[in-house]
Amino acid sequence: MPYSRRAVLCFVWCALFAPLDATVLIPAEFREIVNGSDIIASGRVIDTTPEWGDNRKRIDTRVTLQVGTYLKGGPGETVVFKVPGGEIGRFRNVMVGAPVFRTGDEVVVFLTRRTSEEPMVFGLNQGVFRISFDEQTKRRVVVRPAVLARGESPEIVVRGSAARRSVPLETFGAQVQAVLAEGAPRGAR
Amino acid sequence: MKRPALLPVLAVLLVVAVVPMFGYLKLGTRVGTRTATLKWDDLPIRYFVTDRPAPQVTQQQFQAAITRAFSTWEAVQSAETSSQFVGFTQANPQSGDGMTVLGFTNRPDLDRVLGATNFIIDTTTADIVESDIFFNTAFQWSVDPAGVPGRHDLESIALHEIGHLHGLGHSAIGETELIAGGRRVLGAESVMFPIAFPPGSVNDRTLRADDIAGITDIYPTTASRRERGSISGKVTKNGQGVLGAHIVAFNPATGALVGGFSLNEDGSFTIGGLEPGPQVLRVEPLDDADIDSFFDASLNVDVNFRVRFHDKVVVVPVGGGARDVEIKVTPK
Repeated sequence: MPYSRRAVLCFVWCALFAPLDATVLIPAEFREIVNGSDIIASGRVIDTTPEWGDNRKRIDTRVTLQVGTYLKGGPGETVVFKVPGGEIGRFRNVMVGAPVFRTGDEVVVFLTRRTSEEPMVFGLNQGVFRISFDEQTKRRVVVRPAVLARGESPEIVVRGSAARRSVPLETFGAQVQAVLAEGAPRGAR
Repeated sequence: MKRPALLPVLAVLLVVAVVPMFGYLKLGTRVGTRTATLKWDDLPIRYFVTDRPAPQVTQQQFQAAITRAFSTWEAVQSAETSSQFVGFTQANPQSGDGMTVLGFTNRPDLDRVLGATNFIIDTTTADIVESDIFFNTAFQWSVDPAGVPGRHDLESIALHEIGHLHGLGHSAIGETELIAGGRRVLGAESVMFPIAFPPGSVNDRTLRADDIAGITDIYPTTASRRERGSISGKVTKNGQGVLGAHIVAFNPATGALVGGFSLNEDGSFTIGGLEPGPQVLRVEPLDDADIDSFFDASLNVDVNFRVRFHDKVVVVPVGGGARDVEIKVTPK
């Protein structure tokens, strides 16, 4: 087959097909997320740039966060981290379970540095807590509540518990600070 | 409701009330302006296995575990799927080579991801053209029938990933507990629960009612089209639709738990692949999970409502649907 025809077919292949991924995760309790993260920051996404990774075998997206508050670490006014998946031209790579960020998103992110590259979100998606505006209270709240053990004894997580609800961003920040003040639990990384 | 039926129903409610639940979810992809369900139109699914071992697991053991996992899905009588092992390959389980490949690879950057399924999809038709599954060698693996402490069971994880490969998304009936320094899965009535059992467990080698309903919904046999049914309706709060609510159908006759999600702003939902008969419905918020693991981030998922049981038993007709069910929830 002439090279030009192969190139055209390759382009058509890339243009027509979009990848998806799905995952099995190791779950973490909130203290583990806090203590296992190198950077914890809240802020607004100001840029998302997809790029090829692993010799063009996959697409990752570099996310730039304009940081409002650092709860841990703090490299500067912005922090850049990487998430699996993204879209380049007509080629789309989606990892089910991997967080997707858009410009303007408000989030609290828990980031780790496992390699020499940009930090990544703790536990693929476990380190993302999205912020929204509560019309009733007129406050910014963290949508996903922290799943936090109250003691040493095992405690079953009951979905729908009245005690677990979206909390104001300030309250969530205080929860993080309290965990940091406790120090790393035994067995946490 | 007639009084004689009340006590059994109340007993069911009490049992269901203490179990956190999810339902199955189907993978979808955009085709133009619509979303299409992902499924294999051309069966059998032809797959290769990467000719690379991991510590404690040879290529042959890997291939045998994968074959068993495919066979488990194919044994579902109400669904019609099939697969074919083509052979070993030097290719990695990654996209773009035109082959469906399963194998070990090292992803230390994904240090909490045991495995992942990758699809290549024809976005003009939503056909699956290629799918790859990697198993992360950053973890220790086992194929021992009884499991090995400290090692994750390959067949269990393969069963989950091959569920994705068939088009099932993250969905489950599962329960977790908080322990000192971590969080642990206690039990799951679906292999598609998105988080793994502790190392050493082989609990996820068996499909549950939720998985069977999901695979049946995507690949129904002619008989199951006639015999199974669905429930559809909406979840509302203060008159507005609730997005991202979990609706679980409990069949008191069989004990089966099958669920779904409200996936639109109006709170509408459909649960398919159900056995006919009476069903008790329960709605709960996704307030303990990683929402990004289930839904697109652009969705404004509501987790601020109380668990609620539908006040009527819903009867799924043979080969048909129970429609217009409205479940009203209240804020926490």
